[in-house]
Amino acid sequence: MNDTFSVKRFGWLFKKTLLERPAQLMGLTALSFSLSLIIYAVVRMMSNFDDAQNFSFLVGLVGGGCFLASFVFGQFTSNASGSSFLTLPASVFEKWLCGVVITGILYLFLFLIFFRLMDMAFVGIYHNGLDPKAAFYQEQYNAVHLLAYDELVARSSFIMFFNFAGIMLVGSLYFNKAAFIKVALITCGICVGAFLLNLLIAKMFFSNMQTAFPYYMVWLMKGKERGRMELPEDSMKVVAIFFRYLIPAMLWFLAFMRLREKEF
Amino acid sequence: MYNLTNTLMIEINNVSFGYTRKKLLYKKLQLTLTTGNIYGLLGKNGAGKSTLLKNIIGLLYPLEGTISVNGHAPARRAPSFLETIYLIPEEVHVPAVTIDRYIDLFAPFYPLFNREQLMAYLEKLEVATADKLSTLSFGQQKKFIIAFALACNTKVLLLDEPTNGLDIPSKKRFRQLIAAVMSEERMIFISTHQIKDLDNLIDQVIIVDEGQLLLNASISAISEKLSFKTVEQIPADRQVLYEEDALKGKAIVVENSGKEQTKINLEHLFNAITENPSLAKTIFNH
Repeated sequence: MNDTFSVKRFGWLFKKTLLERPAQLMGLTALSFSLSLIIYAVVRMMSNFDDAQNFSFLVGLVGGGCFLASFVFGQFTSNASGSSFLTLPASVFEKWLCGVVITGILYLFLFLIFFRLMDMAFVGIYHNGLDPKAAFYQEQYNAVHLLAYDELVARSSFIMFFNFAGIMLVGSLYFNKAAFIKVALITCGICVGAFLLNLLIAKMFFSNMQTAFPYYMVWLMKGKERGRMELPEDSMKVVAIFFRYLIPAMLWFLAFMRLREKEF
Repeated sequence: MYNLTNTLMIEINNVSFGYTRKKLLYKKLQLTLTTGNIYGLLGKNGAGKSTLLKNIIGLLYPLEGTISVNGHAPARRAPSFLETIYLIPEEVHVPAVTIDRYIDLFAPFYPLFNREQLMAYLEKLEVATADKLSTLSFGQQKKFIIAFALACNTKVLLLDEPTNGLDIPSKKRFRQLIAAVMSEERMIFISTHQIKDLDNLIDQVIIVDEGQLLLNASISAISEKLSFKTVEQIPADRQVLYEEDALKGKAIVVENSGKEQTKINLEHLFNAITENPSLAKTIFNH
């Protein structure tokens, strides 16, 4: 018997994971999609299409992904369900992979499909509402288009999704109860701490500094003018690689290690 | 498919365990368990009975020493190991699914699972519902998990306080069921503080207290070494391990020097061993 991976066993585990708590799993997904839809509609009414698309995409993908990531390993809220999960005859790799597939692949693709359909509906309604005989019809038509998944906001959202979902996966394996809240608070604390520490260090180098963002840039004042200083291109690439690939990979792998070492 | 005829052994070698290194629940525990026995693990509250079961199935890892279950290291939690062992915790978990759906989702992981057996056990324990399992009472849920665990036909069955939450008729049926499914290929390990529930069920008694293994003896060995009776006067010539006021005199546990055949009172045995561990050790090593 292969104790690391078996397609048949993984299939059973995947089926069990989806069907054991279908209401919670589908409910959580539906909630994330609904939230994304509401945000799109509300921001669209209050602001422009770009803001609506960007904000809705960010909340739906990153927020929903985090919720789901904290849920897939959420069996440790009770002694009974935690024991049942860990003693189920499937390998640690299969259990981890199941969480990864649900959060990192299934939710991601479902959300992208949902968002595209939602975006098409909103943009379609807008386009159909335009008067083709109006003077600036073509300009108005071209001003609104579907959110491209390779644009800056989408790409940044993907990076955030893989980072924060990874944090949530790890966190749900460290904290047995109220993992989402605890991890969210700790993450906020670390972000604020990193920002303030960076600010303090930057202050030592620049007397005319207005603000600074960790690993990225400082804003400097020269008289009444404001200018920004960024990292050199090569260093920026290193930082980008770190946040895009290395940190998410480390976090998702750490979840596997933690699951393997998990005592309950 | 693994071979059921292999003799299984659980070997606990010099295991020390504690939730902190400063306060150990077990200190250099040495224990060997074999198939064909129903072990009763007795201990006070907080003595580490559940902890020992969790170490055996790999939910907790020893700080020192090793545990081997038929050659498997439990801490690896390998599927080939987990499909041969089943732990029924004190608090059971049943998802909000029907019995058929539960079987559909969980049974494939256990190669020796037998659906007909499950149905028979459920009937025996009087568990029947077409609704979701989560709507059942705690006792009914526990009986369902007991029936399912037995139908998985794992070589090792670990039960942590199995009779907690069961009503009196269910406790009786539980005992009957465990006795009926027991075979030479199986090992059943029951941890409980409700000692009376194990009467006439276990054939091997293990008593742990303050990190030490105080007793690991068969029922026949206990019968041979100790005598349980009620007397008006405590005999002066016998070593008394335990005495307690009873309706018609004093209930005592004494060394059985005359090959008397008396019925073992597990509660008195437990008190006798935990109150006089050194004397008990002398008697049993004699």
